[in-house]
Amino acid sequence: MTVPPPVLTATNIRKSFGDREVLAGISLEAREGEVISILGGSGSGKSTFLRCLNLLEVPDEGQIAIGDVQAPLTRNRHGRLEVSDGRAAARLRTQTAMVFQGFNLWPHLTVLQNVMEAPLRVHRRDRDEVLATARSLLERVGMAGFHAAYPKRLSGGQQQRVAIARALATNPKLVLFDEPTSALDPERVREVLALMRSLAEEGRTMIVVTHEMAFARDVSSRVVHLMNGRVESSGPPAHMFGPDASPAFRAFLSPAAL
Amino acid sequence: MGEHLTFIGSVTAQLVRAVPVTLLILAVSGVCATVLATGLTAMSVARSPLPRLIQRTWTFLFRGTPLILQIFMIYYGFAMVPWIRHGLLWAAFRDPVFCTCLAMTCCCSAYIAEIFRGALAAVPRGEIEAGRACGMTGFLLLRRVIAPSLIRIALPSYSNEIIMMTKSTSLASTITVLDITGVAQQVIAHSYRTLDVFCAAAALYLLINATLSTLLTALERRLDVDRAPTPLAPIPPTLEPLS
Amino acid sequence: MMDDLTLLGFGPDGWAPLLLKGCLLTLAVSATSMAIGTVLGVLLAWARLKGPGWLRRTALVYGVVLRGVPELLVILLLYFGLPSLILSLSETFGWEAPGLPPPFLVGSLSVGLVSAAYQAEIFRGGVGAIPRGQFEAARAMGFSDLLCFHRIVLPQVARVVLPALGNVWQFNLKDSALIAVTGLSELMRTSLVAAGSTRHPFLFFGVAMALYLVLTTLSSTAFHYGGRYSNRWDRG
Repeated sequence: MTVPPPVLTATNIRKSFGDREVLAGISLEAREGEVISILGGSGSGKSTFLRCLNLLEVPDEGQIAIGDVQAPLTRNRHGRLEVSDGRAAARLRTQTAMVFQGFNLWPHLTVLQNVMEAPLRVHRRDRDEVLATARSLLERVGMAGFHAAYPKRLSGGQQQRVAIARALATNPKLVLFDEPTSALDPERVREVLALMRSLAEEGRTMIVVTHEMAFARDVSSRVVHLMNGRVESSGPPAHMFGPDASPAFRAFLSPAAL
Repeated sequence: MGEHLTFIGSVTAQLVRAVPVTLLILAVSGVCATVLATGLTAMSVARSPLPRLIQRTWTFLFRGTPLILQIFMIYYGFAMVPWIRHGLLWAAFRDPVFCTCLAMTCCCSAYIAEIFRGALAAVPRGEIEAGRACGMTGFLLLRRVIAPSLIRIALPSYSNEIIMMTKSTSLASTITVLDITGVAQQVIAHSYRTLDVFCAAAALYLLINATLSTLLTALERRLDVDRAPTPLAPIPPTLEPLS
Repeated sequence: MMDDLTLLGFGPDGWAPLLLKGCLLTLAVSATSMAIGTVLGVLLAWARLKGPGWLRRTALVYGVVLRGVPELLVILLLYFGLPSLILSLSETFGWEAPGLPPPFLVGSLSVGLVSAAYQAEIFRGGVGAIPRGQFEAARAMGFSDLLCFHRIVLPQVARVVLPALGNVWQFNLKDSALIAVTGLSELMRTSLVAAGSTRHPFLFFGVAMALYLVLTTLSSTAFHYGGRYSNRWDRG
């Protein structure tokens, strides 16, 4: 069996805010079809790391490649990294998609318009084709009946499902999830997790920052535990949730396991 | 350079002598407009429709037309009315300062009444109900419960309106009053050093506005119960009877 | 009474044509100054939000001065100052003296400069009212800055800003009456001339008031419906 090609390669990512080092050199490779769960306590840098991957945050050090395209990061005269070419960065981002904790649907566009916006305006795809894709995606996330509604009318879970449809609409190589269920009622968490599970079974490449241990254990192909800005341990869930897991990760799990 | 400074100095001296006129117009119309606005606010919540209609018409009329037109109406218009021209009121209506104050009182009372009305609507219902529940009615309820909340809510917009009024006093210069703008115009007309005179006059207006807004902000802060420090003094065992 | 009707009619002694022309001129001046104010206001807001330090401070001072100084003083500055500025510019560059600037330009420029100071505050507040996540969602999908401004910022700013812009427009409309002091025969000036030459001040100032009321009421209705349209997605 051949190893699938890497979709994302991040090497030695470092990031400080002022004096505080949030990321102390993290490397991660995601291969096609992998579902990687990133776990860690609050302040472990997991969200910052995710936001570095699509350059919403610019890392101080390190390299990022999507497929075989390097992120356009160069050193400025103060020795810090910066985005050298905004267009190239935007082009890189078109290969990925992100689902946010706070949904971030655009309130002035309807559900359908939210889903169609990026493929239509950024990717400049054919309108009929985009419409057909958007409709089938909304059906897929169970929001077909709401295409004409404005986001404000929807519940949190419904908004997040639309946001997932919006993320899939450009057919990205990689979908980043930034604590997608943290802002939801327990009731709504289940519907979003079920949707994410079915995406994983479909073979989507996903990197998920989450607190949902059950999701990490049952759905992901690899679990990464961040602590103090470093990868403390990582491995397949069977290993990480098994008896040979690192003590630090077991300590992290214990309050949840009780 | 030395001549330049001397000119600016003498212009500033001339303009400063006009400051009392500007302040007089502001003070008189400010006080009158606020009193009138209180009356208009009361009318706006009256039970019978007539006072409400009067308040609405007043607001519509004075907010919908330029102040300069209202000033001209009063200054030039009333001069043509025989019973005013030959009556006791003529002493007042021939005075441009009086006419400016009258126009500004009418116009600004409409704006201030809208501010008060908005603040009144924003006073939490629960506070009023709590007052009613312990037996307060009418004026007592107004004085002890409604007014303190209302003033706190209205003060930022009210400060804004006072700043606008300071700027509006300059319109007096169009009917021959020698306030700051009037003097500035005179000096410009025979010296043609527009920018110098403008800067001096602008500085005076900015100074007046800065002083007023500092005072009003200080008042706002004093009244802001949310930010007031918690009194550390213990509650005395026996309370003095409330006077 | 008959007399009044003749004075307000379209006949040889009637002032109706001039008053209507004055109305149109008032609208034209207000619209021009609104447009000047919007363009300059956007630039000022941009300077306050994203400009380098010195530009940010300049924009701040501009706002404090133009919002704190009487409009009449600004009009005087341009009315007396602009001709000498043009003269000295044309001397410096050796141009032919272009003559006096037209009063229409002086008037709309001075009201526009004041309007810009207020509009800048409105735009700044409008952009600040959009949650950060909105920009991030757009950037995460590869939107360029321009596309993000056009599709995400503009429609949402419009909703926040439109009622406030309606207020500024009302002030522009009323401030335009001050331009009468420069001799431009807009509605205010025309009614003043009519009042003086016919010695019927009540009649003509009354008519002018009525006309201003028509203008302000019509435009506030227009802004009301514009606001409702731009707000259609926010009604839960």
